[in-house]
Amino acid sequence: MMTVKNLRKSFGEGSTRIEVLKGITLDVVKGETLALVGKSGSGKSTLLSLLAGLDRSDHGDIVVGEKNITGLSEKELTHFRAQEMGIVFQQFHLVSTLTALENVLLPLSILKRENAREKAEALLESVGLSHRAHHLPSELSGGESQRVAIARALSTSPSVLFADEPSGNLDEETGTKVMDLLFEMVKKTGTTMILVTHDPDLARRCSRTVHLEHGSLT
Amino acid sequence: MIQKFFFTREFRRYPFFFLLLGSTLLLGTLGLVSISIVAGQVKTQLENNAHNLLTSDFVVSARRELFPEEQAKVSAILKDKNTYQVTDLYSMVSHPVKNQTRLVELRGVEGAYPFYGDITLQTGKFSTDKFYVSRDLSELWNIQIGDILQVGEIQLPVQGIVINDTSVGLRGFSLAPRAYIPLIKLTEAGLMKRGVTGGFARHFRLPGLSTEDLKKIKTEIYEEINDSAVRVSLPEDSSEQTGRVIHMISNFMALAALIGLVLSLVGIFYLYQSHLQARLKDLCLMNLFGLTKTTITSFILAQYTLIFFIVMILDLLIVIPGYKIFAPMISQSIGLDLGPSLDLMPVFSNLPFLFGLSLSILVPLLAGLLRTPMGMQLKSAKISLGRFRFYDFIPFLLLLWAFSWHLADSMKVGSLFFASLILVFVLSTIVVRGLQILLRKTTAHRGLLLPDLPTGLALKSLARSGHRLTLSFLSIALGATLISLILQLDRMIQNEFVWDKNKPGLFIFDIQEEQIDSFKAFALEKKAPLDAITPMIRARLIKVNDEKFEKKKSSYSMRSKEDDDDERVRNNGLNLTYRSYLTAAEKIVEGEPFPKEPRITDGPVYVSIEKRWSERSGIVIGDKVLFDIQGVELEGVVRNIREVKWTSFYPNFFVTLEPGMIEGAPKTYLAVLPTGTREGKLSFQREAAEKFPNISFIDVEELVSKISVLFDKSRKAIEIISYLSLLVGFVILYGLSHDQVYRRYYDIALMKSLGIPAMDLRRNLLIEFGSLFFVAMSMGLGLGWLIAQVLGREIFKLGLTIDWMRMFVPGVFLLTLCTLTILVSSWRIVEAKPRELLSQG
Repeated sequence: MMTVKNLRKSFGEGSTRIEVLKGITLDVVKGETLALVGKSGSGKSTLLSLLAGLDRSDHGDIVVGEKNITGLSEKELTHFRAQEMGIVFQQFHLVSTLTALENVLLPLSILKRENAREKAEALLESVGLSHRAHHLPSELSGGESQRVAIARALSTSPSVLFADEPSGNLDEETGTKVMDLLFEMVKKTGTTMILVTHDPDLARRCSRTVHLEHGSLT
Repeated sequence: MIQKFFFTREFRRYPFFFLLLGSTLLLGTLGLVSISIVAGQVKTQLENNAHNLLTSDFVVSARRELFPEEQAKVSAILKDKNTYQVTDLYSMVSHPVKNQTRLVELRGVEGAYPFYGDITLQTGKFSTDKFYVSRDLSELWNIQIGDILQVGEIQLPVQGIVINDTSVGLRGFSLAPRAYIPLIKLTEAGLMKRGVTGGFARHFRLPGLSTEDLKKIKTEIYEEINDSAVRVSLPEDSSEQTGRVIHMISNFMALAALIGLVLSLVGIFYLYQSHLQARLKDLCLMNLFGLTKTTITSFILAQYTLIFFIVMILDLLIVIPGYKIFAPMISQSIGLDLGPSLDLMPVFSNLPFLFGLSLSILVPLLAGLLRTPMGMQLKSAKISLGRFRFYDFIPFLLLLWAFSWHLADSMKVGSLFFASLILVFVLSTIVVRGLQILLRKTTAHRGLLLPDLPTGLALKSLARSGHRLTLSFLSIALGATLISLILQLDRMIQNEFVWDKNKPGLFIFDIQEEQIDSFKAFALEKKAPLDAITPMIRARLIKVNDEKFEKKKSSYSMRSKEDDDDERVRNNGLNLTYRSYLTAAEKIVEGEPFPKEPRITDGPVYVSIEKRWSERSGIVIGDKVLFDIQGVELEGVVRNIREVKWTSFYPNFFVTLEPGMIEGAPKTYLAVLPTGTREGKLSFQREAAEKFPNISFIDVEELVSKISVLFDKSRKAIEIISYLSLLVGFVILYGLSHDQVYRRYYDIALMKSLGIPAMDLRRNLLIEFGSLFFVAMSMGLGLGWLIAQVLGREIFKLGLTIDWMRMFVPGVFLLTLCTLTILVSSWRIVEAKPRELLSQG
C-alpha cells in the first residue's frame, strides 16, 4: 500500500543544519493501522508531513499504491492528496467560516463528487453530529470539532488516513470517546491509518507500532 | 522589569506591529502637520505685514465718502493730525497710443501715504503727487515711463512703475492691476461721481497706542457712528481680510487631511485590537502574578504615548526640510513670500487635539481590557478581550467633532464634515451587514460550489466574517468618497468657471442716471444692445422688527467663519434694486412673488431677500425692515426668499424691492453686454471709455479665467492632501488585509492540505476581497458624487451632473490597487507549505 525508502529530511543552513530524518525505510500494508511513536523532537511530525505530501523530502521515495509521490509536481501532489489522503490534526483545523456540514462537504466539493451533500450529511450522522450540522466551528466543543474533522478526513474514502496526535487536544474522557469513533470508522471503511501519538494506550490499539528515535526507526 | 517588558521587549518582539502602527500614525498626521505649518506661516507673514497691508494704524472707511458730521465725530475722538485719505476706485484706463483700454484699480493717495510699508519704484522714490502704474499693468501694455494714459476725462503721464508694494497682500488675487494717482486728480478726472463703486478710507497714524487702545477707540467710533456702512479697521483686520481665501483653502485642506487621520485611527484601532488579542494571554499572566488591570492599561497608554511623540518628531523631521524645499514654490503659487524661518507654534497648538483624538480611539479597547476577567480567562480554552460598548466611542466622536469644527473654523462646515464621516460609517455598516444577511440567506443551505469552489468559499466567508470586514470596507469607502467628491466637485467648478455663451461678455457698472439713455443709444449704435439694465441704490438697513440692526461687536478671540460672515452682513452698507420679475439666475424658495401689477399703498413695501443673506442676518419672511435710502426712511416687509446663482455674472442683489416705491431715489445703473468677440469687446470698451470715462467694464471671460486659475490652485492643493489621505487608506488596507490573510493562515494551509490548488486559493481571496472592495468602492464613489451634488447645489446652485469617466477611471484604478494589495499580502502564505498544521514532535 505504501512503501517508504531511505527517506531523509534536514532543516537549517550550513553549520546549523539538522538532519531530522536519517534514511527511513518503511512498508505499510493495506488496511493496516500503524502507530508512529517517539519522544518530542524525534521526527514523527516531519515524517508524517512527508508521508502526507505536506512537505518535500531531501532524498528517498514514498510510493503510495503505484505512485511515487516524491516525483509529483506541486499541482499533481495537491490533486493526489485530495484523492487518496485524509488527515486528522491535533488542533482540529476546521475552516472557521464554514459550518460543520460544509467542512465535511469541502473535500467532496474539491473533487466535485456526486451526491456530495448526502454523503456529508450521512458522515456527520455517523459521527453523531447531525444536530450540529449548521453550527460554525466556534460554536462546537473540542470533541465535536474533532469528530467533524474525522468525518471530513474520511469523506473522500481515502486510501490512507493520517492522524496527528488526534486526542492531544482533548480531555481523557472525550479523547477516549473520539478515538473509539476513529478506530470504529477506520475499521468499518477498511482505511489504512498512520497515527502519530505520544500515548502508549492509543498506540496499542493500532495493529503495528514503529518507534522513531533521533530520526531513525528503532 | 515591567518597564523593560513594555518598552523594550515588546518593541523587539513585535517589530512589524509597531512599524505598521507608527507608519499609519505618521501618514495620518503628516498631512495635518504640513498644513498647520504652511497655514501658520501664511498667518504669521500676514500678521507681521499687518501694518504694511493697512499702511496705517487705524482706518475709518465706507463705500461712500464720510459725511462731514461723521468726519467731525472721528476727528473729535482721534484728535490727531497724522492722517490721510485713500480712495480706491475701479475705472477704465486707456493707452491712447497703443489703443488699449482696461479696468484698473485706481488708488487715490495724498500726504504721507504710506505711514507703514514700502512702495518700491523701478526708478526713483514714491511720491503721492505723481502717477504710477503697477508692474502687472506695465507688462500688460509694455508701458514705459513717460507714456500718456487716459484716466477718466484727463490724460496723465506715467511717472514710475511700482515693482514692490507691501500694501498688496496676495499677488494675483486682485480683480484688476493697480495704479497710484494723486487724490486730487481723481476729482479732476471726473471719476468721483455720486454712487461710484469704490472705497473711501481715512487713515490715521497713532504711535504709542496699544492694540487694546485701538480696539477701545474702534468701539467708541462704532458707538458714535452707528451706520452699518462705516467700518473701522485695525492692522489685524487687514491681515485677516487678506488671508481669507488662503485661510479657507487651508481649512478645506485640513479637513481632507483629517480624513487621512481618521482612516489611520481606524487602522490603529484594528491593529491594536489584534495586537491586544494576541498579547492577552501574557497580560492575563501578569495580572495573575499581581499586576493590576489599571497598571497594565497605564503601561499600554504610556507605550502608545511614546509612539505618538516619536511619530510627531518624525513628522517634523519630514515636514521641516520639506518646507524648505517647497516654500519657494508655495510662495509663488499663493503670491506671498512665506519666508525661510519656520514658526512651529501652529503644530503645537494642534497637538493636544491630535494627541487626544489619537488616544481616544484606544478607549474602547482599553475599556474592553479593563472589563476582561483576566484570572478566569486563563482557565478557558479561548482567551478573548472583553467586548467594547458603543458609549466607549463617545470621547473619540466628541473630539472628532470638536477637531473638525476647529479645523474648518466653522461650526456649520465642521459639523457637516463630521456628519458626512458618520454617514459613511453608518452606511458602510449597513451595507456590509445587509450584504452579509443577503449572502447568508442565499447561500446558507446550498453547497460550496457556487458555481465553483473559490466563489463558494468566498461568499461563505463574506457572509460570516465579523466587524473586520466592516473596517476594511470603511477604509476603502472613505477613501473613495473623498476622491470622488474632489473629482466631481472639480468638474462642476470647471464647468461653472468656464466662460460660455450663457454668461455675458462685459459686466458694466457705475453708469450714472443721466447717462443711461445716451449709453443705451451708444450701445445700440455699436450694434451691441445692453441687457439686464438694473438700477442700484445705496441704502442702510437700520431696523428689523422695530429693533435697531446693530453692528456686531464680536470678540477677537474665539471667532469663527460664521461670526465673520454675520459681521460682514451687519457691518457693510447695502446695495439694492427694484424689479417685479426674477432673472434667469433667481428662484423663489420661500414665500410669494411680488404682485404682477404695481400696488398703490401707503403700507410697507414688499422686500425679497437672498437665502444666504437671510441666514446670516437672521431676517425671515414676515419680518419688518426699515431702510435708510440716502436720508429717506422706507419701511418694508419681507415677502419672499430667493436663491441666486451668483456665477451667472448678471446683476443680482441680496435685497430687491417691489417696483413703484423707490424709483425716485438717487441711483446708478448696472448692465451687461451680451456675448461678443474679444476684439468686439475691446473696441466697445475703448470707444465707451472715451465717451463715458466714468463707466467701468469687467471682461467676464477674463474674470472667469482668473477665478478658474484660483480654483485650480486650490483644487490641486486639496487634491495633494486627498491623495495623502488615500495613501493612508492603502497602508491601512495593506495592514488590514495582511492581518486578515494572516488570520487565515491555518485555513489556507488546511485548504491546501485538503487539495485546493494555490491558484484556486488566490482566486478565492481575490473574489472575496475584490467583491468587498468593489461594493465599497462603488458606494464611496457614489456617495462622493452625491455629496458633490449637494455642495454644488448649495454653493453654486448647480443642477445634477455626472461625469462617468471621473467615476470609472479612479474606480478601476483603486480596485486594481486594492486587489494587488491583497495579492501581495497573501502571496507568501498561499505559497507556504502546509506542514505547520501538524503538531511539533
